[in-house]
Amino acid sequence: MPIKYYFPLFLLLFFFTSVSAQNKYTLSGTIRDAGTGETLIGATVKISGSTGAGTLTNAYGYFALTQAEGSYTVTISYTGYVSISKTINLIKDIKLNEELRTANDLAEVTVSANNRKNENVKSAQMGLERVDMKSLNSIPVLLGEKDILKTIQLLPGVKSGGEGNTGFYVRGGAADQNLIILDEAVVYNSSHLLGFFSTFNADAIKDVSLYKGGMPAQYGGRLSSVLDVKMDDGNNKEFKFQGGIGLIASRLKAEGPIVKDKGSFMVSFRRTYIDLFLRASPDSSINGSTLNFYDINAKANYKINDKNTIYISGYFGKDNIGVKDLFENNWGNVTTTIRLNHIFSDRLFSNTSLIYNNYNYTVRLLNDVTNFKATSLVRDFNFKEDFQYFSNKHTLRFGLNATHHRISPIDITTSQESQVNSLTQEKRYGLETAAYVSDEWAVTDKLNFLYGVRLAAFSLLGPGSFSQYNTAGNIVSTENVARGKFYKNYFNLEPRFSVSYLFNEENSVKASYNRNTQNIHILTNATSSSPTDQYVLSSNNIKPEIADQIALGYFKNLDENNYEFSGEVYYKWLQNQIDYKNAAQLLANSNVESELLYGSGRAYGLELFFKKKFGKLNGWVGYTLSRTERKFAELNNGNYFPARQDRTHDISVVGIYNLNKRWTFSSSFIYSTGNAVTFPAGKYVINNQTAYYYTERNAGRMPYNMRLDLSATLEGKNTGRFQSSWNFGVYNALARKNPYSIEFINDPKDPSRTVAEQTSLFGLIPSVTWNFKF
Amino acid sequence: MKKLIIYFSILSCCFISCKKIIEVDTNNAEAQIVIEGKITDKLADQQILITKTVGYSDQNVFPKVSGAVVMVTDDKGSKYTFTEKSPGVYTQAMRGIPGNTYYLNVNVDGKVYTASSKMPNNVKLDSIGVTLNSFFGNERKIAAAYLVDPANETNYYHFNLYVNNLFSKRIYVSNDRLTNGNKLRTQLYYEENDDDDKGLKTGDKISIEMECIDSNIFDYWYALSQQSGRGPNQGTTPANPTSNISNNALGYFSAHTFQKLNATVP
Repeated sequence: MPIKYYFPLFLLLFFFTSVSAQNKYTLSGTIRDAGTGETLIGATVKISGSTGAGTLTNAYGYFALTQAEGSYTVTISYTGYVSISKTINLIKDIKLNEELRTANDLAEVTVSANNRKNENVKSAQMGLERVDMKSLNSIPVLLGEKDILKTIQLLPGVKSGGEGNTGFYVRGGAADQNLIILDEAVVYNSSHLLGFFSTFNADAIKDVSLYKGGMPAQYGGRLSSVLDVKMDDGNNKEFKFQGGIGLIASRLKAEGPIVKDKGSFMVSFRRTYIDLFLRASPDSSINGSTLNFYDINAKANYKINDKNTIYISGYFGKDNIGVKDLFENNWGNVTTTIRLNHIFSDRLFSNTSLIYNNYNYTVRLLNDVTNFKATSLVRDFNFKEDFQYFSNKHTLRFGLNATHHRISPIDITTSQESQVNSLTQEKRYGLETAAYVSDEWAVTDKLNFLYGVRLAAFSLLGPGSFSQYNTAGNIVSTENVARGKFYKNYFNLEPRFSVSYLFNEENSVKASYNRNTQNIHILTNATSSSPTDQYVLSSNNIKPEIADQIALGYFKNLDENNYEFSGEVYYKWLQNQIDYKNAAQLLANSNVESELLYGSGRAYGLELFFKKKFGKLNGWVGYTLSRTERKFAELNNGNYFPARQDRTHDISVVGIYNLNKRWTFSSSFIYSTGNAVTFPAGKYVINNQTAYYYTERNAGRMPYNMRLDLSATLEGKNTGRFQSSWNFGVYNALARKNPYSIEFINDPKDPSRTVAEQTSLFGLIPSVTWNFKF
Repeated sequence: MKKLIIYFSILSCCFISCKKIIEVDTNNAEAQIVIEGKITDKLADQQILITKTVGYSDQNVFPKVSGAVVMVTDDKGSKYTFTEKSPGVYTQAMRGIPGNTYYLNVNVDGKVYTASSKMPNNVKLDSIGVTLNSFFGNERKIAAAYLVDPANETNYYHFNLYVNNLFSKRIYVSNDRLTNGNKLRTQLYYEENDDDDKGLKTGDKISIEMECIDSNIFDYWYALSQQSGRGPNQGTTPANPTSNISNNALGYFSAHTFQKLNATVP
């Protein structure tokens, strides 16, 4: 089906090229960092003259601009780099491969106003946040481990799962509704150590973009956001090493040319050593415990010729937790991506990707009679073909995507003496295919469109036995399906549309609508997520989740783009959401789909963002006012109830102060309304114990969260090639006891009364990290 | 898992995980009817208890409901009328038979509550004893029940543990979904009070009651056990366990087999 759509389109484009190219020529090329040879993503290429045409480099640093014959001045700029201008005589197609020098001197960046882009105002794209990897270094985080997931949670519209919880929530979505991709490969579990750290080692990351809305058509498969993380390519000019030694983790990264200016590699390694502290304990059970994670990022690229570049990248991470003689639990992601960039013509850029990724966990109980080993796996093979076509006023993007999923829900193996039986739950197979086309169209200088459509198909494949259930959860019928048979198919058309209108260079309004669908779902009836959460595919019982989102925004820049302000409102409708029956047993249950409830949801909110981008003092203030609700016929009398992550107010303030060349101070402050939770409204006695009576679901509130984190970075004296810095941090500087959970207990002073007891995890935590580079 | 997170947070650095009493904002609900009915396979005074809920902030004094008309019938045509022995406690000497379905009919001030429960076959509680476990570095004595699960049927078990005649507040409920047909040793961790469980000491007198329950009652206990000991924001979202009694009554009506064994901790 998708092929049919795709080939005529492809031919049409070539045809289109040949007729419209008369007397017009194309300027194209790749923009790189002069020091490392890394391609620069999103660098601005601007042409002087009446047309004022400009473009941005794509994810591979490539750009193409088509103009009428003539002489132009081309300016290439990128935040934090020295801009360059060149005069070109466009009388034929021209290749312009340029390298930009980093602005080492702070003043250099501050004064060059033309270096400040107004892309946030101009682009039709809405709901996009790009994390600046440079400022990431100075934002304070827990135990000094800089972390992109913790940093994006400081942006409006993104809510953290809370201390000790995996996951984040975007505009009312659930934690499993975020598409998290690392070099295009899906990362199913993005957390280490039960959510205290993310799987992304900032040393190895080049670019992070988060789409909260207005997702372009090339992304699909999740409802609420896309977190697109790209790894460093590696320095193709010289060998470089960098690393850091912290209180609980150390990092080391090596990069260098394979062939100078043609190919490079990067390898980055990180490991925690909390268990070394455990080992120091005199207690024999504690010193035999394990608690660690490690991860490896590796990437290599090679430019075969001017038209072809190949990239291979991979990630491997593992967490290990164990208590001697009691249990072991480990989990991790593996991703591998092979990509080929091919330039068909100056204007047609293609990328072909082959991707493998898996997420797996193992739980071992070591007790003598209940010992068992349970393993679970989600495995994807993914093929992507993506084209970008650069025309005068249009940038077209179209392609194909096919992903094969295999889910092994659980495999239990036991010893002879174990009282637990071995069990293998039936594997599930699914095929997701999609075809998309989108167009970024500069209609006039003031009006920009980004519109497209994605046709998403999902097929549940055999082999397998698939059951239908009645409302009581009993099997009505079961069908056995042979290998390779398409048992159930779903087709969804996902329109994506964004528009921006510029009043002038510093003011614009934008609007967007997009539909997203999702066919792989996490099942968990716990209010916090865990590494053993189970994945299921859409099926005869589970329908694809659907989200429709509209958003409207006002964007304004001040003081020559030094200050950015934006205000966005959004409204989101959610369909086919999943919840659970009372006493649902989700693990190792082949009839798990009989335990589910289906309902709808809605989320709406206002996000305000004010950012100072340059100068000695920079940072941002974000505020979110929002509401997130769910509705299930079987829950809360069928009325809307707040989702757990419904927090009315969310404030974050980030400040970075560059005192001088050596000292940088920073702080972040967060405040948020407490989670929506269910408190008892009454109590009674059952089997001689107090039980609680609940009326409305999630009508109560946890106490609010508030935290101030501080950090200071001291750059070492410049001693040639070797550079080092010290980072000092204080997490929760106010030592506030933020709520982790509440239990209802008999009042220790008066056992005939009930009181609420709050548990908090973290007090004030100091940290120190030493980083180096040579 | 929660324990583990807290444990980790204590260990990993110099920071403290701490507890404190806080005020929460919640409404007191109107009083609801609570029925707890048990029919066992022992010839004895079977009990149906009828009480009411109190508001969250009220004292733990639960009003007894007097004057109800309580009737139990079975699918073999027997009919038992329960009489109020003390306020809210309705009894009748009878013996339940495995395989029979029992029907409850309670009339409180004209409002009728009904339920049914099928008494499962009895599975013999072979013995009880004490096992030694190492738990985070401490050797701990734990009460255990020994039985052989029958392979040809689905079984659901509920246990009560008493230590020195003190009732353990945990809910012990299990099924044979992953253990069908095996020799089982079910460990019952003793919970002395809400806070910590220190385990058993030599010389402690333990007694274990084992009930073979039906699947609805398993769901009831399982739902309740998922919530107990964990508050909001952890575990499952709290909700009232699905009762097998009609008309929105809280509680359950269970026809189950009953066995009790005693032992002394060595």
